[in-house]
Amino acid sequence: MGCKMNRKAADAGTDGTNPANKTRLTWIRRLSQIGMLFIIGEYSFYGIFRCPFAIPYVNCTSCPVIQCPGRWMVYPFWISLGISSLFFGRSFCGWACPGGLVSGLLSSLLPIRQKIKKGLDRKLHLLKYLSLAFCLSVWLLMSNPRLAIPIRIGEFWESVILTFQHADNLWLARSIGVLILLVAGGVFGNLWCRYFCPTGGALEALKKLGMFRFRKSDDCNQCGLCTKKCEMNTKPEEYNCTDCGDCKKSCPSGAIYFGRSKLK
Amino acid sequence: MNVKGSSIDSDFAGYTGHMSQKFQVLRKEKLSMKKNNKKISRRSFLKASTLTAASGVFLSSSVLAKKADAKILQVWSCGGLAEAFIPANKEFKQKTGVTIAYTGAFAAALGKSLFGTARTEVFAPRVLELAKKLKEQGKMLWYKPLCFTRYILAVPKGNPAGIKSIKDMAAPGIRVVLSPDASPPGGKATIIILKKSGIFEKIQKNIIFNGDCVLRTATMLVNGKADASIIEQRITRHPDFSGKLEIIPIEEKYMPPPPMTFTIGLMKWAKNPDIAKAFIDFILSGDGQKHFEHAGFIPANSSEGNRLSKKYGV
Repeated sequence: MGCKMNRKAADAGTDGTNPANKTRLTWIRRLSQIGMLFIIGEYSFYGIFRCPFAIPYVNCTSCPVIQCPGRWMVYPFWISLGISSLFFGRSFCGWACPGGLVSGLLSSLLPIRQKIKKGLDRKLHLLKYLSLAFCLSVWLLMSNPRLAIPIRIGEFWESVILTFQHADNLWLARSIGVLILLVAGGVFGNLWCRYFCPTGGALEALKKLGMFRFRKSDDCNQCGLCTKKCEMNTKPEEYNCTDCGDCKKSCPSGAIYFGRSKLK
Repeated sequence: MNVKGSSIDSDFAGYTGHMSQKFQVLRKEKLSMKKNNKKISRRSFLKASTLTAASGVFLSSSVLAKKADAKILQVWSCGGLAEAFIPANKEFKQKTGVTIAYTGAFAAALGKSLFGTARTEVFAPRVLELAKKLKEQGKMLWYKPLCFTRYILAVPKGNPAGIKSIKDMAAPGIRVVLSPDASPPGGKATIIILKKSGIFEKIQKNIIFNGDCVLRTATMLVNGKADASIIEQRITRHPDFSGKLEIIPIEEKYMPPPPMTFTIGLMKWAKNPDIAKAFIDFILSGDGQKHFEHAGFIPANSSEGNRLSKKYGV
């Protein structure tokens, strides 16, 4: 039986575990991410590069940056995100988030790759809850102060340069820190998404409510091939799983499935 | 065994000899094919690259020519003027075909950048002193008065607290919101007005929120969470608040000292000074100034504007 499994695992390895080999689902996911990049990419960009508030994406209705689509997008965005978490858990991170796309692409493009040991990974992933608590307290208890001078309207790069030129050190630390962590994700595999993203933290906390998710049945033999395949270095239903489905074909026992409840 | 073995060896040797001949023939054929293929591919490569280069040169030259033809004027202004400049810029483009590359942000920050290495062709700052300093340094060639701002007492629609004048803000139970830490639309000017009107101390018990963002203050008024605030009139014309606030004028004797004036000036970096001058002329004309009046400013090109120009020495 063990031999049979190893053989199966080896077969799967040629197809599934090599990150270069993309399954059809992965391509569909990339298309979904690119599609969402067109819809929320600009909002995402403004949040990192031009939002004057300490915590972006929340005070959009009272923001003076005229050009930011967040002025009309903020409520539809957060409501859709909440609904998506009820149906599909943390799938926003894997299927729609522009930051997730950048992180994923960097991970597949950069030739250097460092693995974080599972023990450390298990501890570090809790940081995103800390990040979420920090953001919520700055937003709700400290009235989300403005840390940069808003460039109300302006040309693309000129406005970004002006925002960086006239921002507080705290704002610079925030924005440059996020950018560094996103780029470092190329080496350490989705560093920002796995350990620091506050939205990821909120979705992680809510994902158990998600009805339709990638799950693993009792056929799972703990071979670990799905973890090797995973951009987030995890398994279905475990912490940091974003329901991307990249691991589905990698399972030699066919234990990974998409569905509502656990298969017996 | 040996005999058998040797016969096999000789058969094998014969077979390999025959095969090597065959391989040599095949190799020669392959080489000649490769040669032919190489010739063809090189020729087609050269053809393709020549065509690509030619079309590239044609396309890029036509794009560059178009770019050179396209008239773009870079305009920077105080962010508060954005609501007036956006439709004015559109109208100017319709009339002249010139595209305005417009940036609107906190004028002091833009000024700081202009004192450094930043450049623009037309600049409309809020603070008169800023225009003067830029002119002294030779970075701004000249400037003219553009418009003036006005502080007002804003109350929610229907004025539920029945406020009639600035003094009423100190009456018991009135919920006052201010934004002293905000930029000029709220800012320190509101404190000066309260001090000049002699109610600054009395009003303290009524202040329910001291913020750093005038838009939040106005939102609290609109939502009925506050009864009164002092803001710039232009905020009441903001799309989010238009028609949702009532205005009570504040006597001019309580008005703060400048910055009340907005100017517009020609910068030394204007690539085409005629276009820049035409734009400034349009902005100061009746057609341009109507956008500023609509956005809640006092146009410089009006009798009140003329009076204020003299008063503030623009």
